[in-house]
Amino acid sequence: MESGINIVGFACSYCAYKASEMAGSLRLKYPEGVVIVQVPCSSRVDPALIIKTLFEGADAVFVAGCHPGDCHFIKGNYYTRRRIYALKEMLDAFSMKGRLKLFWISASEARRFVEKVQEMYSQIKKEKDEG
Amino acid sequence: MKGKRIENGDLIKTLDVYLKETRGILFAFDVENKNYKTKMFKELPKDIRFLNPIFYVNSSIYLRRVFSESIKIVAILRPCETRAYVELTKLSQIESRSVICGSFDCFGTVSSKKEDFSFPYDPRELKVFLESSGLVRYACQVCGHKEGIFGDFGLRYDKEWNLWFIPYTERGRVLFDLIPSEETEIPFELEVKEKKDETTFKTSLSEFRKDFERCIMCLNCKNMCPVCFCVDCLFNTLEYLPKGDELINTILRCGNTELPKNVEIYHFIRMYHVSQTCVGCGSCEEACPQSIPLTKYFKGISGRLQGIFDYLPGKNFDEKIPYTTFKEDELPYAED
Ligand code: SF4
Ligand code: SF4
Ligand code: SF4
Repeated sequence: MESGINIVGFACSYCAYKASEMAGSLRLKYPEGVVIVQVPCSSRVDPALIIKTLFEGADAVFVAGCHPGDCHFIKGNYYTRRRIYALKEMLDAFSMKGRLKLFWISASEARRFVEKVQEMYSQIKKEKDEG
Repeated sequence: MKGKRIENGDLIKTLDVYLKETRGILFAFDVENKNYKTKMFKELPKDIRFLNPIFYVNSSIYLRRVFSESIKIVAILRPCETRAYVELTKLSQIESRSVICGSFDCFGTVSSKKEDFSFPYDPRELKVFLESSGLVRYACQVCGHKEGIFGDFGLRYDKEWNLWFIPYTERGRVLFDLIPSEETEIPFELEVKEKKDETTFKTSLSEFRKDFERCIMCLNCKNMCPVCFCVDCLFNTLEYLPKGDELINTILRCGNTELPKNVEIYHFIRMYHVSQTCVGCGSCEEACPQSIPLTKYFKGISGRLQGIFDYLPGKNFDEKIPYTTFKEDELPYAED
Protein backbone atom coordinates (compact mmCIF):
# COMPACT_ATOMS: atom_id res chain seq x y z
CA MET A 1 0.00 0.00 0.00
CA GLU A 2 1.18 3.45 -0.90
CA SER A 3 0.49 4.96 2.50
CA GLY A 4 1.71 1.93 4.38
CA ILE A 5 -1.50 1.77 6.38
CA ASN A 6 -3.48 -1.44 6.55
CA ILE A 7 -6.98 -1.44 7.89
CA VAL A 8 -9.13 -4.55 7.73
CA GLY A 9 -12.88 -4.15 8.02
CA PHE A 10 -15.37 -6.93 8.60
CA ALA A 11 -18.68 -5.82 7.13
CA CYS A 12 -22.05 -7.51 7.37
CA SER A 13 -23.36 -8.37 3.91
CA TYR A 14 -26.86 -7.10 4.69
CA CYS A 15 -25.92 -3.57 5.64
CA ALA A 16 -22.39 -2.21 5.91
CA TYR A 17 -21.13 -4.21 2.95
CA LYS A 18 -24.09 -2.98 0.88
CA ALA A 19 -23.25 0.55 1.99
CA SER A 20 -19.68 0.10 0.81
CA GLU A 21 -20.94 -1.10 -2.59
CA MET A 22 -23.24 1.86 -2.83
CA ALA A 23 -20.33 4.15 -1.93
CA GLY A 24 -18.57 2.67 -4.96
CA SER A 25 -21.45 3.31 -7.32
CA LEU A 26 -21.77 6.87 -5.98
CA ARG A 27 -18.04 7.27 -6.75
CA LEU A 28 -17.33 8.16 -3.12
CA LYS A 29 -13.69 7.51 -2.33
CA TYR A 30 -12.22 5.99 0.75
CA PRO A 31 -8.52 5.53 1.32
CA GLU A 32 -6.50 2.75 -0.21
CA GLY A 33 -5.22 0.34 2.34
CA VAL A 34 -8.70 -0.39 3.68
CA VAL A 35 -9.60 -3.98 2.90
CA ILE A 36 -13.14 -5.13 3.47
CA VAL A 37 -14.10 -8.67 4.31
CA GLN A 38 -17.72 -9.58 3.74
CA VAL A 39 -19.31 -11.59 6.54
CA PRO A 40 -22.85 -12.97 6.75
CA CYS A 41 -23.47 -11.18 10.06
CA SER A 42 -21.34 -9.00 12.34
CA SER A 43 -21.73 -11.67 15.03
CA ARG A 44 -19.83 -14.03 12.73
CA VAL A 45 -16.67 -12.05 13.48
CA ASP A 46 -14.89 -14.20 16.02
CA PRO A 47 -12.75 -12.01 18.30
CA ALA A 48 -9.97 -14.53 17.64
CA LEU A 49 -9.99 -13.43 13.99
CA ILE A 50 -9.60 -9.81 15.03
CA ILE A 51 -6.70 -10.61 17.34
CA LYS A 52 -5.01 -12.64 14.62
CA THR A 53 -5.50 -9.85 12.10
CA LEU A 54 -4.03 -7.26 14.47
CA PHE A 55 -0.93 -9.29 15.25
CA GLU A 56 -0.31 -10.37 11.69
CA GLY A 57 0.19 -6.90 10.33
CA ALA A 58 -3.05 -4.89 10.31
CA ASP A 59 -2.76 -1.44 11.88
CA ALA A 60 -6.39 -1.51 12.83
CA VAL A 61 -9.61 -3.45 12.43
CA PHE A 62 -13.22 -2.40 12.29
CA VAL A 63 -16.40 -4.39 12.56
CA ALA A 64 -19.48 -2.94 10.90
CA GLY A 65 -22.97 -4.29 11.37
CA CYS A 66 -26.59 -3.23 11.20
CA HIS A 67 -27.92 -0.85 13.83
CA PRO A 68 -29.07 -2.71 16.97
CA GLY A 69 -32.63 -3.82 16.38
CA ASP A 70 -32.15 -4.13 12.60
CA CYS A 71 -30.25 -7.39 12.41
CA HIS A 72 -31.22 -9.62 9.50
CA PHE A 73 -30.97 -12.54 11.89
CA ILE A 74 -32.98 -10.69 14.55
CA LYS A 75 -30.42 -10.64 17.35
CA GLY A 76 -26.95 -11.27 15.94
CA ASN A 77 -25.67 -7.76 16.46
CA TYR A 78 -26.73 -7.71 20.11
CA TYR A 79 -24.11 -10.39 20.66
CA THR A 80 -21.65 -8.45 18.50
CA ARG A 81 -22.15 -5.43 20.71
CA ARG A 82 -21.23 -7.31 23.89
CA ARG A 83 -18.32 -9.22 22.41
CA ILE A 84 -16.69 -6.43 20.46
CA TYR A 85 -17.15 -3.95 23.25
CA ALA A 86 -15.44 -6.36 25.65
CA LEU A 87 -12.61 -6.92 23.18
CA LYS A 88 -12.15 -3.16 22.86
CA GLU A 89 -11.96 -2.95 26.63
CA MET A 90 -9.31 -5.67 26.63
CA LEU A 91 -7.25 -3.88 23.97
CA ASP A 92 -7.58 -0.69 25.98
CA ALA A 93 -6.00 -2.47 28.94
CA PHE A 94 -2.98 -3.05 26.69
CA SER A 95 -2.99 0.59 25.63
CA MET A 96 -4.11 -0.47 22.15
CA LYS A 97 -7.27 1.58 22.13
CA GLY A 98 -8.33 2.82 18.72
CA ARG A 99 -7.02 -0.25 16.95
CA LEU A 100 -10.48 -1.79 16.96
CA LYS A 101 -13.64 0.05 16.12
CA LEU A 102 -17.30 -0.88 15.97
CA PHE A 103 -19.68 0.85 13.55
CA TRP A 104 -23.40 0.52 12.98
CA ILE A 105 -24.12 1.27 9.32
CA SER A 106 -27.33 0.52 7.45
CA ALA A 107 -27.42 -0.40 3.75
CA SER A 108 -28.43 3.12 2.78
CA GLU A 109 -25.72 4.92 4.73
CA ALA A 110 -23.00 4.99 2.07
CA ARG A 111 -21.87 8.46 3.06
CA ARG A 112 -21.74 7.62 6.74
CA PHE A 113 -19.71 4.53 5.91
CA VAL A 114 -17.13 6.56 3.99
CA GLU A 115 -16.95 9.21 6.73
CA LYS A 116 -16.40 6.63 9.45
CA VAL A 117 -13.68 4.83 7.52
CA GLN A 118 -12.01 8.09 6.50
CA GLU A 119 -11.99 9.32 10.09
CA MET A 120 -10.54 6.06 11.36
CA TYR A 121 -7.89 6.11 8.65
CA SER A 122 -6.77 9.66 9.47
CA GLN A 123 -6.54 8.85 13.14
CA ILE A 124 -4.44 5.72 12.58
CA LYS A 125 -2.23 7.57 10.11
CA LYS A 126 -1.69 10.39 12.59
CA GLU A 127 -0.78 7.94 15.36
CA LYS A 128 1.56 6.07 13.06
CA ASP A 129 3.27 9.24 11.82
CA GLU A 130 3.79 10.36 15.40
CA GLY A 131 5.35 6.98 16.07
CA MET B 1 -29.26 -17.29 56.22
CA LYS B 2 -29.78 -20.68 57.86
CA GLY B 3 -27.24 -23.38 58.49
CA LYS B 4 -26.23 -26.11 60.89
CA ARG B 5 -23.34 -25.98 63.29
CA ILE B 6 -21.01 -28.87 62.83
CA GLU B 7 -20.17 -30.53 66.11
CA ASN B 8 -17.18 -32.76 66.60
CA GLY B 9 -16.94 -35.31 63.84
CA ASP B 10 -20.42 -34.62 62.45
CA LEU B 11 -19.17 -33.82 59.01
CA ILE B 12 -17.17 -37.00 58.73
CA LYS B 13 -20.09 -39.05 60.05
CA THR B 14 -22.51 -37.44 57.60
CA LEU B 15 -20.22 -38.04 54.66
CA ASP B 16 -19.70 -41.60 55.74
CA VAL B 17 -23.43 -42.29 55.93
CA TYR B 18 -24.10 -40.64 52.60
CA LEU B 19 -21.29 -42.40 50.76
CA LYS B 20 -22.35 -45.78 52.10
CA GLU B 21 -26.02 -45.21 51.28
CA THR B 22 -25.43 -44.05 47.74
CA ARG B 23 -22.34 -46.04 46.89
CA GLY B 24 -20.87 -42.58 46.45
CA ILE B 25 -17.37 -41.33 45.89
CA LEU B 26 -15.60 -38.61 47.82
CA PHE B 27 -13.33 -36.11 46.19
CA ALA B 28 -10.94 -34.74 48.80
CA PHE B 29 -7.35 -34.67 50.01
CA ASP B 30 -5.23 -36.74 52.26
CA VAL B 31 -1.69 -36.32 53.37
CA GLU B 32 1.10 -38.49 52.11
CA ASN B 33 4.74 -37.65 52.84
CA LYS B 34 3.74 -34.12 53.77
CA ASN B 35 2.08 -33.79 50.37
CA TYR B 36 -1.60 -33.08 50.17
CA LYS B 37 -2.85 -35.28 47.38
CA THR B 38 -6.15 -34.77 45.66
CA LYS B 39 -7.82 -38.13 45.40
CA MET B 40 -11.15 -39.77 44.79
CA PHE B 41 -12.07 -42.18 47.55
CA LYS B 42 -14.52 -45.02 47.69
CA GLU B 43 -14.37 -45.02 51.47
CA LEU B 44 -13.67 -42.17 53.81
CA PRO B 45 -9.91 -42.06 54.39
CA LYS B 46 -8.51 -41.95 57.90
CA ASP B 47 -6.51 -38.76 57.53
CA ILE B 48 -8.99 -36.71 55.58
CA ARG B 49 -8.43 -32.96 55.17
CA PHE B 50 -10.70 -30.34 53.78
CA LEU B 51 -8.38 -27.38 53.69
CA ASN B 52 -5.57 -28.03 51.29
CA PRO B 53 -2.82 -25.44 51.72
CA ILE B 54 -0.85 -26.60 48.67
CA PHE B 55 -2.04 -25.68 45.21
CA TYR B 56 -1.19 -27.97 42.31
CA VAL B 57 -4.04 -27.46 39.92
CA ASN B 58 -7.65 -26.33 40.01
CA SER B 59 -9.21 -29.70 40.85
CA SER B 60 -12.47 -28.98 39.06
CA ILE B 61 -10.76 -30.12 35.85
CA TYR B 62 -11.08 -33.67 37.14
CA LEU B 63 -14.81 -33.28 37.58
CA ARG B 64 -14.97 -32.83 33.81
CA ARG B 65 -13.94 -36.42 33.50
CA VAL B 66 -16.39 -38.20 35.77
CA PHE B 67 -19.97 -38.95 35.09
CA SER B 68 -22.30 -41.58 36.35
CA GLU B 69 -26.06 -41.73 36.72
CA SER B 70 -25.98 -44.08 39.68
CA ILE B 71 -22.85 -43.11 41.60
CA LYS B 72 -22.81 -39.79 43.37
CA ILE B 73 -19.68 -37.73 43.80
CA VAL B 74 -19.24 -35.44 46.77
CA ALA B 75 -16.55 -32.83 46.32
CA ILE B 76 -15.38 -30.35 48.92
CA LEU B 77 -13.16 -27.86 47.19
CA ARG B 78 -11.71 -24.37 47.45
CA PRO B 79 -13.89 -21.45 46.45
CA CYS B 80 -12.02 -20.90 43.17
CA GLU B 81 -12.36 -24.57 42.30
CA THR B 82 -16.04 -24.62 43.16
CA ARG B 83 -16.62 -21.52 41.06
CA ALA B 84 -14.99 -23.25 38.09
CA TYR B 85 -17.29 -26.22 38.75
CA VAL B 86 -20.30 -23.92 38.52
CA GLU B 87 -19.07 -22.37 35.28
CA LEU B 88 -18.33 -25.78 33.78
CA THR B 89 -21.81 -26.92 34.73
CA LYS B 90 -23.26 -23.98 32.82
CA LEU B 91 -21.10 -24.93 29.86
CA SER B 92 -22.32 -28.56 29.95
CA GLN B 93 -18.83 -29.82 30.75
CA ILE B 94 -19.82 -31.26 34.13
CA GLU B 95 -22.97 -33.24 34.61
CA SER B 96 -24.08 -31.80 37.92
CA ARG B 97 -26.78 -34.43 38.41
CA SER B 98 -24.10 -36.76 39.70
CA VAL B 99 -22.05 -34.20 41.64
CA ILE B 100 -22.56 -32.39 44.93
CA CYS B 101 -19.79 -29.84 45.17
CA GLY B 102 -19.37 -27.37 47.98
CA SER B 103 -16.79 -24.81 48.99
CA PHE B 104 -14.74 -24.42 52.13
CA ASP B 105 -13.58 -21.07 53.48
CA CYS B 106 -10.06 -20.60 52.13
CA PHE B 107 -7.03 -18.97 53.76
CA GLY B 108 -4.89 -18.95 50.64
CA THR B 109 -2.44 -21.51 49.34
CA VAL B 110 1.24 -22.12 48.74
CA SER B 111 2.61 -23.12 45.36
CA SER B 112 3.38 -26.81 44.90
CA LYS B 113 6.75 -25.74 43.52
CA LYS B 114 7.87 -24.64 46.98
CA GLU B 115 9.79 -27.00 49.20
CA ASP B 116 7.91 -29.24 51.58
CA PHE B 117 6.41 -27.74 54.71
CA SER B 118 4.46 -29.11 57.56
CA PHE B 119 1.23 -27.24 57.88
CA PRO B 120 -0.66 -27.04 61.15
CA TYR B 121 -3.92 -28.97 61.15
CA ASP B 122 -5.96 -26.56 63.23
CA PRO B 123 -7.66 -23.98 60.94
CA ARG B 124 -6.84 -21.05 63.20
CA GLU B 125 -3.18 -21.98 63.31
CA LEU B 126 -3.14 -22.68 59.60
CA LYS B 127 -4.47 -19.22 58.88
CA VAL B 128 -1.84 -17.57 61.06
CA PHE B 129 0.86 -19.77 59.58
CA LEU B 130 -0.09 -18.85 56.02
CA GLU B 131 -0.45 -15.16 56.76
CA SER B 132 2.92 -14.91 58.39
CA SER B 133 4.80 -17.24 56.05
CA GLY B 134 5.09 -14.90 53.08
CA LEU B 135 4.68 -17.97 50.90
CA VAL B 136 1.12 -17.46 49.72
CA ARG B 137 0.73 -17.50 45.93
CA TYR B 138 0.13 -14.25 44.08
CA ALA B 139 -3.30 -15.50 42.94
CA CYS B 140 -4.35 -15.99 46.57
CA GLN B 141 -2.90 -12.69 47.72
CA VAL B 142 -5.15 -10.83 45.30
CA CYS B 143 -8.10 -13.24 45.61
CA GLY B 144 -11.22 -11.49 46.86
CA HIS B 145 -13.46 -14.55 46.91
CA LYS B 146 -12.11 -16.77 49.64
CA GLU B 147 -15.52 -17.29 51.19
CA GLY B 148 -17.20 -20.67 51.06
CA ILE B 149 -20.32 -19.25 49.45
CA PHE B 150 -20.15 -21.09 46.13
CA GLY B 151 -21.55 -24.30 44.72
CA ASP B 152 -24.09 -26.60 46.32
CA PHE B 153 -23.15 -25.91 49.92
CA GLY B 154 -20.63 -23.98 51.96
CA LEU B 155 -18.49 -24.83 54.96
CA ARG B 156 -17.71 -21.68 56.86
CA TYR B 157 -16.05 -20.57 60.07
CA ASP B 158 -17.54 -18.04 62.43
CA LYS B 159 -15.52 -15.73 64.68
CA GLU B 160 -15.30 -18.41 67.39
CA TRP B 161 -14.00 -20.91 64.83
CA ASN B 162 -17.14 -23.00 64.87
CA LEU B 163 -17.76 -24.66 61.53
CA TRP B 164 -21.08 -24.14 59.77
CA PHE B 165 -22.70 -26.10 56.98
CA ILE B 166 -24.86 -23.92 54.74
CA PRO B 167 -26.87 -25.42 51.86
CA TYR B 168 -27.23 -23.36 48.67
CA THR B 169 -28.98 -25.76 46.30
CA GLU B 170 -31.30 -28.77 46.43
CA ARG B 171 -28.28 -31.04 46.01
CA GLY B 172 -26.55 -29.37 48.94
CA ARG B 173 -29.67 -29.88 51.05
CA VAL B 174 -29.43 -33.64 50.60
CA LEU B 175 -26.24 -33.67 52.69
CA PHE B 176 -27.50 -30.94 54.96
CA ASP B 177 -30.50 -33.01 56.01
CA LEU B 178 -28.20 -35.79 57.20
CA ILE B 179 -26.38 -33.55 59.68
CA PRO B 180 -27.72 -34.25 63.18
CA SER B 181 -27.72 -30.72 64.68
CA GLU B 182 -30.60 -28.23 64.54
CA GLU B 183 -31.00 -25.77 61.69
CA THR B 184 -30.41 -22.25 63.00
CA GLU B 185 -29.61 -18.77 61.83
CA ILE B 186 -25.86 -18.53 61.11
CA PRO B 187 -23.84 -15.87 62.94
CA PHE B 188 -23.65 -12.53 61.22
CA GLU B 189 -19.88 -12.21 61.46
CA LEU B 190 -17.83 -14.87 59.75
CA GLU B 191 -14.10 -15.31 59.58
CA VAL B 192 -13.46 -14.92 55.85
CA LYS B 193 -14.74 -11.87 54.01
CA GLU B 194 -15.29 -10.86 50.42
CA LYS B 195 -13.19 -8.27 48.62
CA LYS B 196 -14.22 -6.57 45.38
CA ASP B 197 -12.30 -7.46 42.25
CA GLU B 198 -10.04 -4.88 40.67
CA THR B 199 -11.68 -3.67 37.46
CA THR B 200 -9.14 -1.14 36.25
CA PHE B 201 -6.22 -3.31 35.14
CA LYS B 202 -3.97 -1.38 32.79
CA THR B 203 -0.73 -2.38 31.11
CA SER B 204 0.87 -2.02 27.69
CA LEU B 205 1.90 -4.24 24.83
CA SER B 206 5.57 -3.64 25.56
CA GLU B 207 5.16 -4.62 29.19
CA PHE B 208 3.30 -7.73 28.09
CA ARG B 209 6.09 -8.60 25.65
CA LYS B 210 8.68 -8.21 28.38
CA ASP B 211 6.77 -10.46 30.79
CA PHE B 212 6.12 -13.12 28.15
CA GLU B 213 9.58 -13.03 26.60
CA ARG B 214 10.45 -16.45 28.02
CA CYS B 215 7.22 -18.16 26.94
CA ILE B 216 7.98 -21.34 25.02
CA MET B 217 4.41 -21.96 23.84
CA CYS B 218 4.17 -25.28 25.61
CA LEU B 219 0.43 -24.63 26.12
CA ASN B 220 0.57 -25.93 29.71
CA CYS B 221 -1.32 -22.85 30.87
CA LYS B 222 -4.22 -23.77 28.63
CA ASN B 223 -4.16 -27.44 29.53
CA MET B 224 -4.32 -26.79 33.27
CA CYS B 225 -6.90 -24.00 33.14
CA PRO B 226 -10.24 -25.29 34.39
CA VAL B 227 -12.31 -23.13 32.07
CA CYS B 228 -10.22 -23.75 28.95
CA PHE B 229 -11.99 -26.94 28.09
CA CYS B 230 -12.57 -27.06 24.33
CA VAL B 231 -11.83 -30.48 22.92
CA ASP B 232 -11.38 -28.81 19.56
CA CYS B 233 -9.28 -25.95 20.90
CA LEU B 234 -7.84 -24.06 18.01
CA PHE B 235 -4.39 -24.31 19.48
CA ASN B 236 -4.57 -28.08 19.36
CA THR B 237 -4.57 -27.72 15.61
CA LEU B 238 -1.85 -26.17 13.54
CA GLU B 239 -4.25 -23.49 12.38
CA TYR B 240 -2.68 -20.72 14.44
CA LEU B 241 0.91 -21.78 14.04
CA PRO B 242 2.98 -20.89 10.99
CA LYS B 243 2.78 -23.60 8.40
CA GLY B 244 3.99 -24.45 4.92
CA ASP B 245 6.39 -21.84 3.63
CA GLU B 246 5.03 -19.10 5.88
CA LEU B 247 8.09 -19.03 8.13
CA ILE B 248 10.54 -19.15 5.23
CA ASN B 249 8.68 -16.35 3.49
CA THR B 250 8.70 -14.23 6.61
CA ILE B 251 12.43 -14.70 7.03
CA LEU B 252 13.09 -13.86 3.37
CA ARG B 253 10.85 -10.80 3.58
CA CYS B 254 11.88 -9.46 6.97
CA GLY B 255 15.39 -10.78 7.46
CA ASN B 256 14.55 -12.79 10.56
CA THR B 257 11.70 -14.06 12.62
CA GLU B 258 11.24 -14.58 16.30
CA LEU B 259 10.70 -18.02 17.72
CA PRO B 260 8.38 -19.22 18.99
CA LYS B 261 5.97 -17.30 16.82
CA ASN B 262 2.47 -16.11 17.66
CA VAL B 263 2.97 -15.87 21.44
CA GLU B 264 0.81 -12.73 21.51
CA ILE B 265 -1.92 -14.29 19.38
CA TYR B 266 -2.09 -17.32 21.62
CA HIS B 267 -2.29 -15.45 24.91
CA PHE B 268 -4.59 -12.71 23.66
CA ILE B 269 -7.06 -15.19 22.22
CA ARG B 270 -6.97 -17.33 25.34
CA MET B 271 -7.33 -14.27 27.54
CA TYR B 272 -10.40 -13.21 25.63
CA HIS B 273 -11.88 -16.68 25.63
CA VAL B 274 -11.68 -17.02 29.42
CA SER B 275 -12.45 -13.38 30.11
CA GLN B 276 -15.90 -14.04 31.58
CA THR B 277 -15.26 -17.43 33.16
CA CYS B 278 -11.75 -17.01 34.63
CA VAL B 279 -11.95 -17.53 38.38
CA GLY B 280 -8.48 -16.15 39.08
CA CYS B 281 -7.21 -19.41 40.55
CA GLY B 282 -3.70 -19.09 39.10
CA SER B 283 -3.68 -22.71 37.93
CA CYS B 284 -2.21 -21.45 34.65
CA GLU B 285 0.69 -19.80 36.42
CA GLU B 286 1.27 -22.85 38.59
CA ALA B 287 1.56 -24.97 35.44
CA CYS B 288 3.98 -22.65 33.66
CA PRO B 289 7.54 -23.99 33.50
CA GLN B 290 8.85 -20.51 32.69
CA SER B 291 7.41 -18.69 35.74
CA ILE B 292 5.48 -16.23 33.62
CA PRO B 293 3.18 -13.97 35.68
CA LEU B 294 0.03 -15.22 33.97
CA THR B 295 -2.35 -14.49 36.82
CA LYS B 296 -1.55 -10.79 36.75
CA TYR B 297 -2.74 -10.60 33.14
CA PHE B 298 -5.54 -13.17 33.09
CA LYS B 299 -7.10 -12.10 36.36
CA GLY B 300 -6.49 -8.45 35.53
CA ILE B 301 -8.17 -8.63 32.14
CA SER B 302 -11.02 -10.85 33.27
CA GLY B 303 -11.69 -8.64 36.29
CA ARG B 304 -12.02 -5.71 33.94
CA LEU B 305 -14.17 -7.49 31.36
CA GLN B 306 -16.42 -9.14 33.97
CA GLY B 307 -16.84 -5.68 35.45
CA ILE B 308 -18.59 -4.47 32.27
CA PHE B 309 -21.42 -6.92 32.85
CA ASP B 310 -21.16 -7.02 36.63
CA TYR B 311 -20.58 -10.76 36.37
CA LEU B 312 -18.90 -12.96 38.95
CA PRO B 313 -18.17 -16.39 37.49
CA GLY B 314 -19.35 -19.21 39.67
CA LYS B 315 -21.70 -17.08 41.77
CA ASN B 316 -24.84 -18.90 40.75
CA PHE B 317 -25.95 -21.65 38.43
CA ASP B 318 -28.69 -19.69 36.70
CA GLU B 319 -26.85 -16.58 35.63
CA LYS B 320 -25.88 -16.79 31.96
CA ILE B 321 -22.32 -16.18 30.80
CA PRO B 322 -22.37 -12.61 29.40
CA TYR B 323 -21.26 -13.44 25.85
CA THR B 324 -24.10 -15.94 25.46
CA THR B 325 -26.84 -13.47 26.19
CA PHE B 326 -27.69 -9.77 25.86
CA LYS B 327 -30.06 -7.00 26.84
CA GLU B 328 -31.75 -5.05 24.10
CA ASP B 329 -31.02 -1.72 25.65
CA GLU B 330 -27.43 -1.57 26.86
CA LEU B 331 -23.91 -0.35 26.08
CA PRO B 332 -24.94 2.79 24.15
CA TYR B 333 -21.27 3.81 24.06
CA ALA B 334 -20.16 0.57 22.35
CA GLU B 335 -20.23 2.15 18.91
CA ASP B 336 -17.38 4.37 17.70
S1 SF4 C 1 -7.33 -18.21 44.51
FE1 SF4 C 1 -8.63 -17.65 46.29
S2 SF4 C 1 -10.00 -19.36 46.59
FE2 SF4 C 1 -8.34 -20.07 45.24
S3 SF4 C 1 -6.85 -21.03 46.60
FE3 SF4 C 1 -6.25 -18.89 46.37
S4 SF4 C 1 -7.27 -17.78 48.05
FE4 SF4 C 1 -8.22 -19.78 47.88
S1 SF4 D 1 -6.89 -18.34 33.17
FE1 SF4 D 1 -5.57 -18.99 34.87
S2 SF4 D 1 -6.45 -17.93 36.63
FE2 SF4 D 1 -8.03 -17.89 35.05
S3 SF4 D 1 -9.30 -19.71 35.42
FE3 SF4 D 1 -7.70 -20.29 33.95
S4 SF4 D 1 -6.06 -21.16 35.20
FE4 SF4 D 1 -7.39 -19.99 36.59
S1 SF4 E 1 2.75 -22.42 30.36
FE1 SF4 E 1 4.16 -20.67 30.33
S2 SF4 E 1 5.68 -21.18 28.77
FE2 SF4 E 1 3.95 -22.58 28.45
S3 SF4 E 1 2.68 -21.51 26.91
FE3 SF4 E 1 1.89 -20.91 28.93
S4 SF4 E 1 2.98 -18.99 29.41
FE4 SF4 E 1 4.09 -19.99 27.73
